[in-house]
Amino acid sequence: MVVERDHHGFDAPAPLGHPGRASLPKGHSTGPEIGERLPDFMLPSTSGASIDYHDDRAGRKSVVVFFRSAVW
Amino acid sequence: MYAISYDDPETLAEFAEKQGVHFPLLSDIDSKVIRQFGILNEQVTRNDALLYGIPYPGVYVTNETGTVVAKFFHDSYKKRESPEFYIDAALGRLSLDEKAPQVSGGDQDINLTIAVHGGNGTVRQGIVRHLVVRFELPEGLHIYGPPVPEGMIATQVTIQGPEGLALMSPELPATEKLTLPGVAELNVWHGTVDLTYPFYATGELASECRPLDVPSIDVKVTVRYQACTDRECLLPKTESFTLSLDLDVIDIPAIDLHKGHGQREGNYDGAPALKRLLGRKIKQNPLGLPIFLIKSLWLQMGALLRKRQQKKSQNKQ
Repeated sequence: MVVERDHHGFDAPAPLGHPGRASLPKGHSTGPEIGERLPDFMLPSTSGASIDYHDDRAGRKSVVVFFRSAVW
Repeated sequence: MYAISYDDPETLAEFAEKQGVHFPLLSDIDSKVIRQFGILNEQVTRNDALLYGIPYPGVYVTNETGTVVAKFFHDSYKKRESPEFYIDAALGRLSLDEKAPQVSGGDQDINLTIAVHGGNGTVRQGIVRHLVVRFELPEGLHIYGPPVPEGMIATQVTIQGPEGLALMSPELPATEKLTLPGVAELNVWHGTVDLTYPFYATGELASECRPLDVPSIDVKVTVRYQACTDRECLLPKTESFTLSLDLDVIDIPAIDLHKGHGQREGNYDGAPALKRLLGRKIKQNPLGLPIFLIKSLWLQMGALLRKRQQKKSQNKQ
């Protein structure tokens, strides 16, 4: 893959315009806002067992990270 | 802490084990929760094969009721916060890392600390660190934030680094208003004042696609300020400091796409996980992969042409 530098100055092993380099457009929603409660959700964890986010938090503070992939 | 991606649980389990991750990694295999949050990357289509279903990466920090108190999203997927900032946001205060580079100044009255916060002060492409200028002012003394009336000195911080060190907008605490007889309203800080200057490296300084050019960089910080009481001012001061920051090599996944660029490859073979991901996406849309490959090839040809043109114009110069 060709390495190209984007307008932010970042290098990546993919050409400019590649969908893997598509970043958040200006004005796009970034989900729940400050002051809003995160929605309920339930997802399988690494063991395969489902985790209910708010139940699992059990009244503690939390950090919720959305990342692109653990594969590439 | 919870981290969510569209990967399968097996991939996440392998990743957690090899990378020593001890918090839950959650598998949103159909991107249902990513959609629910409204952060699906819609520029990636079903015909983009393995990429389809990724979010715009970002982070939410909540309080005890699950209400968002801070969130972090950027205009480039390459820009990311240092994990220490999430802890700061959760605790509502900034705790400086003892291991990260810091220097001290000031005098017997005023403590001045210049510290790098996040990632032990190392520098990586796109990863945001904070340069913190901390004043500790004794009772009765204050310093000024902008704007100030003519003849007075607002606290000014200048940061000089090598090419490729990108500075973001500073994060300054709110000033308090001070009104003195015969003087326009003043904006002051007192007590402990943290002036935060976020920064990151671009590819010019620390690319993830070539070996590092240098192991470390010097960043020069100049601080100009004047401390006053309500009645009189001390002499203005200008102090300069130099911090030496290590550049950090990035761990890249050990798959063909990333290999050969001179960075440190992941400590396990990523090919099986990639095969599983591809298999899953082909099942959902059999035509996606050939379309994606043709599109990638087309874009790559465009990139090669651009490179050739760049070289030509460089040779002419």
